[in-house]
Amino acid sequence: MQGFAIHAFDPPGDSVALRAEIRAFLAEHQPKGSAASRANCWQVADPEFSRALGKAGWLGFTWPTQYGGHGRHLLERYIVVEELLAAGAPVAAHWIGDRQTGPLILRYGTEEQRERYLPAMARGESFACIGLSEPGAGSDLASVRTSARRTREGWRINGQKVWTSGAHHAHTMLALVRTQEGSERNAGLSQLLVDLDTPGITIRPIIDLAGVHHFNEVFFDDVLVPEGALVGAEGNGWAQVTAELAIERSGPERYLSSHALLVALIDHLGPNADPAARALVGRATADLWTLRQMSMSVTAKLAHGEDPVVEAAIVKDLGNAYEQELPRAVQDAIALDLLDGSELSNVLHLLLLTSPSFSLRGGTKEILRGIAARGLGLR
Amino acid sequence: MSEMRTQLVETATALLADGTATIEAFAEAGFGQLLTPEAEGGFGGDWGDAAEVLRLVGFHQPRLDVAALIVGDGQLDCALATTALVGGALQRALELAIDHANTRVQFGKPLGKQQAVQQSLALMAEEVAAVAVAAQAAAKARDAGDAAFEIGCAKLRANRAAGIGGAIAHQVHGAIGFTQDYPLHHYTAKLVEWRSAYGNDAYWAEQVGTFALSLGGAGLWTEITRRSDAL
Repeated sequence: MQGFAIHAFDPPGDSVALRAEIRAFLAEHQPKGSAASRANCWQVADPEFSRALGKAGWLGFTWPTQYGGHGRHLLERYIVVEELLAAGAPVAAHWIGDRQTGPLILRYGTEEQRERYLPAMARGESFACIGLSEPGAGSDLASVRTSARRTREGWRINGQKVWTSGAHHAHTMLALVRTQEGSERNAGLSQLLVDLDTPGITIRPIIDLAGVHHFNEVFFDDVLVPEGALVGAEGNGWAQVTAELAIERSGPERYLSSHALLVALIDHLGPNADPAARALVGRATADLWTLRQMSMSVTAKLAHGEDPVVEAAIVKDLGNAYEQELPRAVQDAIALDLLDGSELSNVLHLLLLTSPSFSLRGGTKEILRGIAARGLGLR
Repeated sequence: MSEMRTQLVETATALLADGTATIEAFAEAGFGQLLTPEAEGGFGGDWGDAAEVLRLVGFHQPRLDVAALIVGDGQLDCALATTALVGGALQRALELAIDHANTRVQFGKPLGKQQAVQQSLALMAEEVAAVAVAAQAAAKARDAGDAAFEIGCAKLRANRAAGIGGAIAHQVHGAIGFTQDYPLHHYTAKLVEWRSAYGNDAYWAEQVGTFALSLGGAGLWTEITRRSDAL
C-alpha cells in the first residue's frame, strides 16, 4: 500500500524575508478590487499584472538563470505562489506556463525550445495553455484523437481541443496528440508545442454559467508546425502528461483558490460572532491549516525529485472538497441576501455558482479517488 | 528519520509485535522519559518522536495507555497525543478494510474491484493522510513552544477523520467487521472514544474559530504563515 509520505518543508534561505518581499510587491502592484474579484483568482487573467511580476523577477522563479529564470528553490517558489493566491492576485495569464509548461520544457524540451520559450515566459510576456481535453476525451484522456502526422515540412495537426482555459490570451499550447496512426489508448501519443498564431487554428469562446469567458474550444485544420515542436520523445506523451498532471494537481491553488471567501467571512463576522459562526470559522481554519501542511509536504516530495502522483491526487481531492463545502456551510450558517451587493454576498454567490467546477477541472474527484485507490493496491 | 526516532520506533515495534505488550514493559523500556532531556537522564526525544511512537501504539494496540506514560496529563499535550493515536488506529482500520476488500468475493469478484468500494476506501485513505500530516505538523510546532493553535487544528481534523474513516471501515467490512472475533472493533471502538477525548468537535471548533476571528480576515493568513516560518 502506498500511503501519504510526509516530507519536511524546509526551504533554504530566509522565508520570512522572502514572504515580506512578495507581500511588498503585492501591496504596490495588485489591482484593488472586490472580494469576488479575488475569488478563484488563478482563473482571473491580467496580462499587465503578469508582466509586472515577470519584470520584478517572480516568474520562472526556479528555472536556471541561463533561460531567464532565477535559480531559486522549489520550496521558495511555493512561498511566492501561496502568497499570490492568499492575496487573490489575478495570476491566470502566466499561471499555466509558470506552473507546468515551463517546467515540462525544462525537463523534456530541446535546447532550442528552452531558449525560445522560457525567457519570454519568465518575463511574463509569453503565456501557455493546456491542450488535453477533447470532445470525446474528458476524464478518459487516453481517448485523445487529435492527430499529428510527420511530413517533410513538419507535423501536420488535425482535430479539436476543448475546455481550454485561457487559450484566447495564450501564445502557445502544449498539446497531447496522437502521432502514431492507428495507435490506441495511451500508446502512440506525443506532446507538441503549438504557437497559437499558426495558420489553421481557430479559437472560439465558451462562456461559463457565471457569464465568464475563460474556456475555449480550439480547432486544428491542417495546422503545420515545425519538426522541432515535438517535446520529449515521440510516443512518450502519456508518461510526460502524467508527470505534468502531478505538478498541476499538487499546488496550493487547490485549496487556496477561494481564500477570499474565508477572509470576507471573518471580516463580516467580527470578533464577537455567535458560537455557531465561530465554530464554522474554526472548522474552516483547521481544514485550511491541515491542507496547507499536506500541500507543503507534496511540494517537498516534488523538490526531492519524486513524482507524488497519489499524494497530489489526495491533496487536490481534499482541497476541492474544502472549497466546495465552505460556500455551502457559510450559506447554511449566515442569513444573507445573496443579491444585497455586500462583499460577503458577492463572493459567496460567485463561489456557490462556480465551485462545482473545482472537482471537475484538472481531474474529477472520481478520477482522483481512482488514482488513490490504485495506490492502495485495490485489485 | 533521525537515529533517535529509528531507535524508538524499533523498540516500540518490538514491544508491540505480538499484541500482548504491557504498560509496564513500556515503562521499563524507558518510554516514560522519552520527552525528558538527556541532561536530566531522559531520552531527549522530541514531540515528533512521541507522535510516531503513539501512532504505532494506535496501529498495533490502541487500548494500551502509552500516551499518559509519555506526555502526562496536560489537556493540550493529551489532545496532540490523541491525534497521533487516531492516525495509527485509522491506518490499521484502513489496512484491514483493504485486505478484506481484496479477499472477500461477492458478485464473482473481490469487493475491491467494485468502483463504489474503491471510491470509499480512497476517501478513507485521504482522511488517514490528513491526520498523519496534522499530527506530525502539530508535534513540530509543539517542539518549538506554543502550539495551542496547531494542536487545536490537528485534533479538530482528527475528530472528523475518525468519524468518517471509522464509518467507511465498517461499511466496507459488512457484517464480518461487526463481531467480537474480528479485530476491527479494537480500532474503531477507540476511535469513537478519542473523538470525545481532550476536546470534541464543538470545543476545538470554537477555540480555533475564536482565535481566527480575533485575527481578522487578512490577519489569519499572516498568523498561519508567521507560525510555520518560525519553525
